[in-house]
Amino acid sequence: MAHRGYVITYIIIALSLARGLPAHAQTPAKLPVVATFSILADFALNVGGDRINVATLVGPDGDTHVYQPKPDDAKELGAAQLIVVNGLGLEGWIDRLIRASGAKAPVIVATKGINPQQMNEEGRIGLDPHAWQSIANAKVYVVNIRDGLIAADPAGEAAYRANADNYLGKLDALEADVKRDIAKIPPERRQIITTHDAFGYFGTAYGFRFIAPEGISTETEASARDVAKIIRQIKAQNIPAVFLENVTDPRLVRRIAAESGARVGGTLYSDALSPSDGPASTYIDMMRNNVRELAAALAK
Amino acid sequence: MQLHDLLIAPFADFAFMRRALAGAIALAIAGPPLGLFLILRRMALTGDAMAHAILPGAALGYLAAGLSLGPMTIGGLAAGVIVAAGSGVVARTTVLREDASLAAFYLISLALGVTIVSLRGSNIDLLHVLFGSVLALDDATLILLAAIASVTLVALAALYRPLVIETVDASFLASVSKSGGPVQIIFLALVVLNLVGGFQALGTLLAVGMMMLPAASAMLITADMTAMIGIAAAQGMLAGYAGLVISFHAGLPSGPLIILMAGLLYLLALVFGPAGGLLRRFKPGQHLEG
Amino acid sequence: MDVAIRFSDLTLGYDRHPAVHHLDGEVERGALLAVCGPNGAGKSTLLKGIAGTLAPLAGSIALPRLKFRDIAYLPQATGIDKSFPIDVFDVVAMGLWKRCGLFGGISRSETAKIRAAITAVGLEGFEARPVATLSGGQLQRMLFARLLVQDAAVILLDEPFTAIDSKTVADLISVVSAWHYDHRTVLVVLHDLDLVREHFPQTLLLAREVIAKGKTGAVLTPENLSKARSMIEAFDRQAQACARAA
Repeated sequence: MAHRGYVITYIIIALSLARGLPAHAQTPAKLPVVATFSILADFALNVGGDRINVATLVGPDGDTHVYQPKPDDAKELGAAQLIVVNGLGLEGWIDRLIRASGAKAPVIVATKGINPQQMNEEGRIGLDPHAWQSIANAKVYVVNIRDGLIAADPAGEAAYRANADNYLGKLDALEADVKRDIAKIPPERRQIITTHDAFGYFGTAYGFRFIAPEGISTETEASARDVAKIIRQIKAQNIPAVFLENVTDPRLVRRIAAESGARVGGTLYSDALSPSDGPASTYIDMMRNNVRELAAALAK
Repeated sequence: MQLHDLLIAPFADFAFMRRALAGAIALAIAGPPLGLFLILRRMALTGDAMAHAILPGAALGYLAAGLSLGPMTIGGLAAGVIVAAGSGVVARTTVLREDASLAAFYLISLALGVTIVSLRGSNIDLLHVLFGSVLALDDATLILLAAIASVTLVALAALYRPLVIETVDASFLASVSKSGGPVQIIFLALVVLNLVGGFQALGTLLAVGMMMLPAASAMLITADMTAMIGIAAAQGMLAGYAGLVISFHAGLPSGPLIILMAGLLYLLALVFGPAGGLLRRFKPGQHLEG
Repeated sequence: MDVAIRFSDLTLGYDRHPAVHHLDGEVERGALLAVCGPNGAGKSTLLKGIAGTLAPLAGSIALPRLKFRDIAYLPQATGIDKSFPIDVFDVVAMGLWKRCGLFGGISRSETAKIRAAITAVGLEGFEARPVATLSGGQLQRMLFARLLVQDAAVILLDEPFTAIDSKTVADLISVVSAWHYDHRTVLVVLHDLDLVREHFPQTLLLAREVIAKGKTGAVLTPENLSKARSMIEAFDRQAQACARAA
């Protein structure tokens, strides 16, 4: 857990420095890096260590899909020497922002080299950008970020390689744990209903089915037909648990669970880390949290 | 059988549909009589005003106990009763009538609520949390709705006479009895109780709509007060049933659909109603002998 | 004399300005008293004071041996909501409030009393009519029927015949006379002096203070009437505190 404190301290320092200083006054020793959202920032810090400052555009608990950039963001981009984005269509707003900010820094697409999956978003087929949900992909992210840092700051190559190897080792250990914990869940119970379509890569990598119900979303009011459909679906396919995040009415979730016999699950983190006092403030914690919640809900 | 599948099966097969129907019926029994008196006392927009008036109470509940439904509901109820009682007292003792005094109170209440919420520094739409959906009725909520309906009916039956007299000829009641003030306040408290309970269980639209639309419609159908109450309740129940059935088969949101059904019945009454519908007005038929 | 109402140095008014000023006197039981005077003379105010809806600024009104329930008061402009879906019978039945209260049912004999009252005011057949359909005269008759049902010992009427057709006035005057023969105490505020001279044995001529009280003939003399007319209607904005304390 010392590792966690180390990371938290760096995030806090990095954010406060990035916020407070105008571009030209930065200490020349630390490389200014901008990451689009919290998970990328976490990876970057683990590789860059104290050689870099990371500014995050979409912070903890934020929604990267629909983020509205602020003027500060353009300033930070302008001052950066490396920009890390996810790609695969996650940040629809980033290209325009980079152009508007006049940033000259190289842009690292963290998902380079990954085999993308497809997803069905409200009837339209597109690329699923949530590649980090598979730990194998996360390792590709780390390698890409390491190479980007080396290119931007050759003097730090040794440090970056050492940090990256260290972190990759941790990710390997994480993956072993995740696979072991999931193996404890009987295969026929490895399916849940969740509103947010963000776990495709997780499902492929670890043998899970994530089913999205039609019609129940945060914006619209539910219709009786939609509720009936979910209940029928859960009963027919013996789905053991329902994870409905951010739905307007938690009571509706409980009603569906009660009538269908499914359990209501806890909180799964998919698109962003939690704040530092939450259960998923780093990538590794996030994956552990999700597996823990899944196992708890799906246990017999 | 086709008809069975269409009209009965949704309720036979799904518990949440049965509960939704039970909730809608409870509202339909208690709401429209209150709505009738609101209309007759020129307070038809009270429902919407009360939805805003309960905010500071809910906010205080939120400050005290976080996003928990119990304290927020009790807080909302308390705020609603204070606003209702306060406006009732002002209406009786000053030149302001009930609509003006209620407007003043609920605006103050709303501003207070917004301020209290901002103290916590949070962006949460408190009222959004407080207002429920007809498809999500659990046991506790159903019991709440049933209790509110019973209390309302008993109170209305007991206070029917003075309430009518107070509405028709308040100065006469004042000259023969001291019950005018308390009756007015109890009536408003009943309205608040039904609204807050209704909001929490079924959402604002459904609670206020069920109170007002069947009542307005019944006034166009008959001129007899007792028949009005019965017809209003019947329309409410019909709208609840029809709205749920259509929502089930057509995939449209249930709450708004129930109100649309009530609205449809209102429009029919508007055109064809024997006691003041448009058709009667424009084509009164042959006049009588004497 | 059997006193129904006693005024002791009574001052009634609004916002400390007196509308009735230092009134002393008595009304005996069974009197049929017209209350006359120019506009703003305090006639309505006096009735409000007797009915109990206005508290005295000074002095007192005593109603010996009478309870609150024994007074029936018909104000000048009733705030009746004509659009309410209620019929004549139910409005007249309101008069039974003192006996029935919240829950009391209406017995057969009481129903008969209500019908008799409706007939007495000439509204037979109107029992089931919605109030919204009544003319001004019919409305007034209905309110008189309600007064009949109230069966009160003291009856106060404030300008009951304003803008009413003459047939209705005649019919209702006979109801008032019936009350008088019944030994009820009746006070009526009236502007029509001919009506007063013809039907009211006693008169109180008021112009904030008593000009005259007694037999109508003696009260409604030209000198008294001109004295009354010279009373100033408006409240004196510069008025000091009244020195004539009791």
